Amino acid sequence: MDAWGYVMLAYGVVWGAILLYLLSLKRRLRRAESDLALLQAEEETGANEEK
Amino acid sequence: MPQRSGRKGRSLLGTLALLVTLIGLYWGLIHAPADAFQGDVQRIMYLHIPSILTAYLSIFLVFVGSCLYLWKREKRDDILAYSAAEIGVLFIALTIVEGSIWGRPTWGVWWTWDARLTLTAVFLLIFLGYLMLRSLIEDESRAATAAAVLGIVGFLDIPLIHMSVYWWRTLHQPPSILRPDKAPWENIPWPLLTPLLINIVAFALLYFYLLSLRFRLGELQEEIKARKLARSSAS
Repeated sequence: MDAWGYVMLAYGVVWGAILLYLLSLKRRLRRAESDLALLQAEEETGANEEK
Repeated sequence: MPQRSGRKGRSLLGTLALLVTLIGLYWGLIHAPADAFQGDVQRIMYLHIPSILTAYLSIFLVFVGSCLYLWKREKRDDILAYSAAEIGVLFIALTIVEGSIWGRPTWGVWWTWDARLTLTAVFLLIFLGYLMLRSLIEDESRAATAAAVLGIVGFLDIPLIHMSVYWWRTLHQPPSILRPDKAPWENIPWPLLTPLLINIVAFALLYFYLLSLRFRLGELQEEIKARKLARSSAS
């Protein structure tokens, strides 16, 4: 492998890993937001039924 | 309203991080001259030094969050420490991988049991252990306390890693930026120092963007747990 091959390998691995982590973080965040919204909706429904 | 402004702030930070990263990539890969001795392979330095400095910053925040949690027992401090540890592990691992790729053409080996490399591997293992500890201990308060102690101990590895090149005979070169005897501009010429500084700023901005997302995730997970607990105790 020549010098540029090593440089491209390093940059590819680093930016690939950071991008994958960012995407997984955004996916987890979206899931948590929808779980919380669901819980809030269920709580509101429960509170309305009690009234 | 604060949630919306938090999201807007995060988007702004993400955009700024992307912009500075693109400038750093252009400067490091195209604009900067090749090193007189190592040639183009030295361009890995523009990833390697920012990665380890970001890892140090992250583990410093683990240390701060852990100390505050042990002192005040506030959940926010634990979320900060946990979030910073997760991102810190990513940057420590990336530093080792980049170093390995850089080591092959310059030292002739992918890995050697050099003092700095070994201490960095230990650093990674400590914080992998930190993340495992959090998932293995069921009692959350005990897990947070044990992790805080490990986070404080793990932080003490940073001065060892940094000074290892002075204390032991190593294959790894002395620090390029944080030298006790020289200013960075006395050690690296400006055409190579400029892209390095831009990339350090880019990694720092990217780090704070990732941390803001991970911290928000931690807050949401706590709120979900609290609501579920309140519901189960009410029923």
